Amino acid sequence: MPESPESPLQEDSRGLKSDRFSGAVLIALACWIAWLNLEFPLGTLADPGPGYVPLLLAVGLGVIGLLVALFGGGSEPLRGIRWTEARRALVILVACAALTFALERIGYRLSVFAFLVFFLGVIERKHPLAVLAVAAGFSIVSFHVVAVMLGVPLPRGPWGF
Amino acid sequence: MLETFNSLMMGFAVAFEPKVFMYAVAGCIIGTLVGMMPGLGPLAGISLLLPATFGLNPIIAIVLLSGVYYGAMYGGSTTSILMRIPGEAASVMTCVDGYAMTQNGRAGPALAIAAIGSFFAGTVGVIGLMLMAPTLASFALRFGPPEYTALLLMGLFVLAYMSGGSMLKTLAMAFFGLLLGMIGIDVMTGYTRFSFGLVELGDGVGIVPVAVGLFGISEILMTAGQAEPPKVQKPKLRELIPSREEFRLSVGPIIRGSLLGFAIGIIPGSAHVISSFVSYGVERRLSKHPERFGKGAIEGVAGPESANNSAATGAFVPMLALGIPTGPVTAVMIAAIMVHGILPGPMLIEQQPELFWGFVASMYVGNMVLLILNLPMVGLFVNLLRIPYAYLYPCILAFCILGCYSVSNSVTDVWIMLGMGAIGYGLRKFGFDLAPVALGLVLGPMLELSLRQSLAMSGGTYAIFLERPIAVTMFGLALLLLALALKPVLFKSRDWRADVGLDDKTDGAPPGK
Repeated sequence: MPESPESPLQEDSRGLKSDRFSGAVLIALACWIAWLNLEFPLGTLADPGPGYVPLLLAVGLGVIGLLVALFGGGSEPLRGIRWTEARRALVILVACAALTFALERIGYRLSVFAFLVFFLGVIERKHPLAVLAVAAGFSIVSFHVVAVMLGVPLPRGPWGF
Repeated sequence: MLETFNSLMMGFAVAFEPKVFMYAVAGCIIGTLVGMMPGLGPLAGISLLLPATFGLNPIIAIVLLSGVYYGAMYGGSTTSILMRIPGEAASVMTCVDGYAMTQNGRAGPALAIAAIGSFFAGTVGVIGLMLMAPTLASFALRFGPPEYTALLLMGLFVLAYMSGGSMLKTLAMAFFGLLLGMIGIDVMTGYTRFSFGLVELGDGVGIVPVAVGLFGISEILMTAGQAEPPKVQKPKLRELIPSREEFRLSVGPIIRGSLLGFAIGIIPGSAHVISSFVSYGVERRLSKHPERFGKGAIEGVAGPESANNSAATGAFVPMLALGIPTGPVTAVMIAAIMVHGILPGPMLIEQQPELFWGFVASMYVGNMVLLILNLPMVGLFVNLLRIPYAYLYPCILAFCILGCYSVSNSVTDVWIMLGMGAIGYGLRKFGFDLAPVALGLVLGPMLELSLRQSLAMSGGTYAIFLERPIAVTMFGLALLLLALALKPVLFKSRDWRADVGLDDKTDGAPPGK
């Protein structure tokens, strides 16, 4: 019996395939690199310049991208890829970016403390006492081990903390 | 032979120095803990410890980091067997029968066989390393730029052929990594390339931010929001002893896995991961009762666990003898040695015999330490698995940022790490293997230099690669692999991945770890 046009199975098998999309992105990346590479001299075969090998590699990447796209007809449909964890992943990345931004401005211990309080208290909704204990314990102990015992310099921030 | 024995004795004298021994034990313990923690594989563990080794003597630094590496190989098996969570990617196959044994009430023997197999394989690997590395190093002294170019290109083809996924996708990732390696100052002309005006990129992109981003951060992004892991079993010491039948069934897989793992470990790629898949496939094929596999067959634990540990040691052969990494882990370890002004390669064994033989001997010692740690202390280590993941992953993220920052006190490195984490997450969603990116990053500058030197030597003709017998042989091998890879596509036949079950077992596994 033929499937109805609304059938999820049929719907999933149509549309852009994931490998076709990947191949197109690889080709675009290769073109962009080749364009950036225009400012470097290619030199001659006997004396290749700084742009020679990057151009070879960009061409290689473009060709492989083309092959990935050409042979990608049987791959999973693009819309079939599940992004269930993407929202949480984005929150994690933004929080890590905030920690990176704050690291040299307010110091290692304060920024890591705030980072852990955010994750454990706001995202994971753990008990406030546990949150404070883990955040304070981790930031102080890790600083002591890395900066004091191993002698690796870590940022201290304006209050020396 | 006598010379090798004397050198080994010198190595033992170095390995048993109290400070070196202490660091070897510390590396093994840290590695075991790292291997047990989902989200922290051996690579992330080594990368995070790297800054701490800058102030150490180079022998101690490499002993500590290699202890972490094979400690993680051991530790990864514990979570696989007890919780069906591969602590690191090479333990994925152990999950299948190891966890089934746990459900059948045989967790203790599974852990014991995994530890014994790992110990035996580690020892086989160290003997192989001891015998092969000096021979390979003396052979490599004949290499000039054309041979190195051919070797690096052959390595990339081997990597692509042996990878768990599509050859084209693996090659694409290798090219992406090679292009990342082009960032920074060109050593032959002084041009700064692809730096976008950032002074920090003048020295290029570091392996640590790329490796931690691709493997550590992307793993956490992939597992974000997952359900809590199942309850952990804590086997008692007396429950660890396998039955006579379990011992008998394990002997063959352990021996085969050790030899197979070492051979695969020498070639580039995620060797320890591939070796465990291949070993599982071989054992299933050789078994008189293949239907037992997946339901708690001890051979399914013994073979893959031996193979991945042996492969971990095999990976050190090209690293020490040729100065060429076979994977991201050895790439980071090369960076660790180079910080001390030592260049791994054919001259290393001659110029730094204490480092080489001390390292080899420390691996024997490390294997013994791990056997002692993994059997009686397994109950103690298992306590780590009781920490809820909700508490664990923010701390792992903070560790990643801390480790990456402290390599060169640069926030730019942390931004690169986060960027690579996001890219790694996207690439994994589309089924790309990440190991070739890290490998390409390290091989890129080597390949560029040797290619340009070869062309300069030949006055601009590629014929130089056809005039040198070693280079021709290597290119011949690369072409053969290409033909083998194309065969299933052109003739619609099964390739080796399907034969060892790699096609259908990688789902959900952390591919690039």
